[in-house]
This record gives sequence, structure tokens and C-alpha cells, in this order.
Amino acid sequence: MAYADGELDLVARAEIEAAIARDPEVARAVERHRAVAARVRSAYDGVLGEPVPERLAALVAAPDSTPVADLAARREATRIAIGRWRLPPWVALAASVALGLFVGMLVMREPAAPYEEVNGAFVARGALDAALTSELASLPDNSGVAIGISFRDHDGDYCRTFHMHREASVSGLACRQGDAWKLQVLAAAPEHAGELRPAAAMPLAVLHAVDAAIEGEPLDAGAEAKARDAGWR
Amino acid sequence: MSRTSPVDEVRAQLAELLPRLRRFARVITRNVADADDLVQVSVEKALVRAEQWRPGSKLDSWMFGIMKNAWIDEIRARRRRERVHAPEEAGLGVGDASAAARDIALSVQAAMSRLPEEQRMAIALVLVEGLSYKDAAESLGIPIGTLTSRLARGREALQALLGGKAGAA
Repeated sequence: MAYADGELDLVARAEIEAAIARDPEVARAVERHRAVAARVRSAYDGVLGEPVPERLAALVAAPDSTPVADLAARREATRIAIGRWRLPPWVALAASVALGLFVGMLVMREPAAPYEEVNGAFVARGALDAALTSELASLPDNSGVAIGISFRDHDGDYCRTFHMHREASVSGLACRQGDAWKLQVLAAAPEHAGELRPAAAMPLAVLHAVDAAIEGEPLDAGAEAKARDAGWR
Repeated sequence: MSRTSPVDEVRAQLAELLPRLRRFARVITRNVADADDLVQVSVEKALVRAEQWRPGSKLDSWMFGIMKNAWIDEIRARRRRERVHAPEEAGLGVGDASAAARDIALSVQAAMSRLPEEQRMAIALVLVEGLSYKDAAESLGIPIGTLTSRLARGREALQALLGGKAGAA
């Protein structure tokens, strides 16, 4: 197999070639390997000739100079246009400028900001911090913030999804680090008539962030209450 | 904007790699729509982490690794949401091959779709993408021995599924 794949060094190749010359069975085995490889390759070669979809080509095209103010609108537009399980670029978490801008805009627009930047990370403040710290998913919402699911991440830290409605509907994921809730992702949630959206209707970006972070299964109501009572440690 | 920044470099190389990324995605997802979504997610991830790519190293192996992880994440997420789709064989695309070539391609793709995920990835990297064993093992994050045994098992299964015709090709 390694010979057929061109993986062997010169000496090993020479030995195999001698074996092929001596033994037609070896020659046939090598031939079979190569034939399967050739068939598999040609079965997928057609893809190379297909035109690359515009949305993929656009991703790697030279960056445009869209003004900062348009970022959120542009992002929202691509999110809607693309759908399925694509990960919006701003899931790139705190490291990404996108989240910074998004949060930054919220912070600038709202006098009582629910977030604050601390050493490059975004930390929940005010009503959001209070809800993440003390609210349970099962309780009716009375703070403008609804808690979705709670779980432990790969480092054993607690994380919770939330949904809040202020000037805009926003869903997100925050994880407990030290004494603060650090925002992992924040996504505009489509407006929903009536009450707050249930956890099951989280924006894809939040779902993906949960999927990437979660270790095991979400906490059930009992475990959630216990974790809260223990201060999320 | 400097042409030598890592992001620009990755971006430029990715533009050329796109057809191959789409092909690799087609092999592992077995489905045109999922394949392009996978490419999109992976390219976005790569651009975000462009700083982690060592200039001069092989971008294709690096990308295949990102794609493999993204696909495994996606499969897990689907299982968690209990929305596992059956392979959509009707959605397989084989480009503009002639009718006869298309029949062969379909039977190869049907056979490939019956292989376990890990064997299909090994075959996609070595046989379809032409990566060396070393690069393929690195992409998948496994030792070379593991790669070659997956490759050997996958090949054996393929030969069996494709019947004796393999020797005649």
C-alpha cells in the first residue's frame, strides 16, 4: 500500500520493485491498490471543475472597506442569506473584533450597559450579571433577562445561555470565570412576538458556541439550582 | 494594507485552494449543501485564526485539519439535537462527467459513503487529495500508524464494495 501511494524511500522501493518483477501476485496487488486509488480520485475530480459558489469566493476575496457602522447590518444580512449551519464570523468570540464592535455599539447606545470591557474581555454587568448569577431557567422572567440552559464547559466552568430584550433582542452565552460572567458570544435574536424566546429557539451562533463549549449534557433543574447555591464554583 | 500579513497570505492561498477544499468536503460530508457549508465555516475559522498558521507550512493540511474538526463538531451537534440526517445519496454531485463516468463515480461515492467516518477521511486525504501519509496524519491529529491502518481497512472495504472491477480499471 505504501509503495502504491509513493510513500517509500528509494531502498524500500527497489526491494518492492524486485518483488514485483519476481512475483506476479505482488504486481497484481500493487495494481489493484493503484486502480482503487485512481477510481476514487476520478470519482471526485468533477468537483474541481465546478464553479466555486459566490458566497465562498467572497469569503477569501480581498477585504472590502465597509464602514464600521455597517458591520452589524452586513452581518445580519449574510446570516439570513446563508442559513443552515454556517457559523457567523462573529462567533469568533472575544478575540474577534466583530464581537467588540457589536458589544461596543450596544454599550455606546445604552447608558446602563449590561456589559463592560475588562482587560479585553466582555463581562456581564447590572441586570444581566444579576440574572446570570441568581436566576433559574425555570423561574418566570422579571428582569428583562431570561436564562436558557446551563452547563459545564471543557474546563469545568459553568456557562449559561441568556436572552434579553432591551432596545434590541439579543441572545448570548456567558461563562463563569472567577467572580465574573464572561461573554462568549452575543447574537441578535429575531424579534419574537410576545414573551422571550425559549432556549430552543436560540440563534445559530449561540447554539454553535454551546456545542463548541459544552462538556457532557446541560444541567437539569436540580443541578442548576445546586450550582447557583454554590456560587457557580 | 500589506500583502505579507498572515491573514492576507492565508486569504490569497485559500482562494486557490477552494476547489480542493470543496472536493474534500464533498468526500467527507457526502452531500453538496453540507459540503459547501463546511467549507464556509472552515474558511471563516481559518481567517479568524490566520495568525496560528505558520507561513511556509502547508496550508492545505492545516485547512483539512480545521475542516475535519468542524465536521466532527457538526456531527456531534446534530446528534445532540437528534437531527442526524441519513446520507443523501440523491444529492451527490459529480460534476460534468459523461454518463458512463458518472455511473462509476456514483458507485464509488456510494461505496465511500458506507465507510466509517475515520476511514473515509483517511482516504479523502491520501487518495483523493494526494497528501503524504505524514501530512495526512498531521491533519487528522493521529499517528502515522493509525492513519495507515485506517487507510488499509478503508481500502479493503472499498475493494470489496466495488467488486472485482477495481483490477480492470
